[in-house]
Amino acid sequence: MLKSRKLAGALAACGLLIGLSTAAAHHSAAMYDHSRTLTLTGTVVELRWVNPHVSLSVNGTLKEGEEPALWVLEMTSPGNLVRAGGWRRDAVKPGDKVVVDFSPLREADRRGGALKKLTVASSGEVFTADLRAQEKGDAE
Amino acid sequence: MALMLAGLALPAAPACAQEPPKKAPIVTNPPPTAQDWADLAKLPDWSGVWIPKVTDQDAQVKTNPPPWNAEAARKIAAMFAEEKAGRPVLIFSYCLPEAHPSWMLISHNAMEILFTPGRVTMLGESDGNRLRRIYTDGRGHPEISDPTFHGHSIGHWEGDTLVVDTVDIMPQAPLAVSEAAGLPNNGDMHVIERIHLADKDVLHVDLEIHAPKILTAPWKTTRIFLRRRARKFDIVEGVCVQGNLSERVSPEGDHIFVPVERTIWGNIEAPKK
Repeated sequence: MLKSRKLAGALAACGLLIGLSTAAAHHSAAMYDHSRTLTLTGTVVELRWVNPHVSLSVNGTLKEGEEPALWVLEMTSPGNLVRAGGWRRDAVKPGDKVVVDFSPLREADRRGGALKKLTVASSGEVFTADLRAQEKGDAE
Repeated sequence: MALMLAGLALPAAPACAQEPPKKAPIVTNPPPTAQDWADLAKLPDWSGVWIPKVTDQDAQVKTNPPPWNAEAARKIAAMFAEEKAGRPVLIFSYCLPEAHPSWMLISHNAMEILFTPGRVTMLGESDGNRLRRIYTDGRGHPEISDPTFHGHSIGHWEGDTLVVDTVDIMPQAPLAVSEAAGLPNNGDMHVIERIHLADKDVLHVDLEIHAPKILTAPWKTTRIFLRRRARKFDIVEGVCVQGNLSERVSPEGDHIFVPVERTIWGNIEAPKK
């Protein structure tokens, strides 16, 4: 047990270094096919409320009768989601039933996409993710 | 031993009589006076949160391209082709700042602008658009260049327009027109800005960008920021490298970060079908 704890600590420390050396950054959304919108129905696994791109992982299906599978959906930054889409860090929590509209990755062999709209099944609450939406309206 | 020391000391004696080299005078930042603080009230009101008009950034990619030189144009064309093919080049890698002037050109995040005596400070929301210090105390640029991501900025007011002159920008700092198209400026970049209210809640940043290593002529562009006062627009801390990490609790109960996999384009590695 002690050995595995030490390993976890070492991995965490190492992870920070790996994180710094990989290419993550504020990136373009051109890897998604914005001409297509798919709908995923499932259960929230995790909302990663992080800059520069928030991500939501959902265990769900695109069609009824499918075997549920894990999908990862990216968005803009927390600040832009708050301003443009009414999001909060606790907008959804693990286990929540949701319906997600998204544009899929162009890589056909990957389960990922750019989230467009999230609907929480229990409350009907809707969150969107178009950062350009905050340009509408006036200063107030 | 004593003789040896004395022998060594003798030739040095005339040097001791020389005047020591004069040190440069110490330049201080004087404490602001009550009048300095009062004078700030005469400046235009730039309070509130400023969001970039991203739709105008999008439009200018086609309507107002920089005058790239032949080599730069070839590289930029290749970047647009990659973007069109769904393989966007990661211009802002390693979570480095967007730098000047790209922050003004392509940021998707909000900023606020603070006036204090002798200084205008631009505070961005994320590491990408973190911080610009613009000295308005009458100083010039440093004699010795020490390039940084945002360069050295000095400004002065012409009526209600802040005129900013920036040099000493790192040659690696990209001149970007989008998140997937931009090139290192490669040195000698000089940026002149005229920043002013174009309407009650509209800020214009008129830029004249001299980047002689990649442009054939200075590039002029105006970037638009829209004022928001509703509290939901307040700046949210954004730490870019957090995007590489997930929040977890260790077996010992400590709240830690663990890495996530990312693709070469910067997005999270999605599960394979």
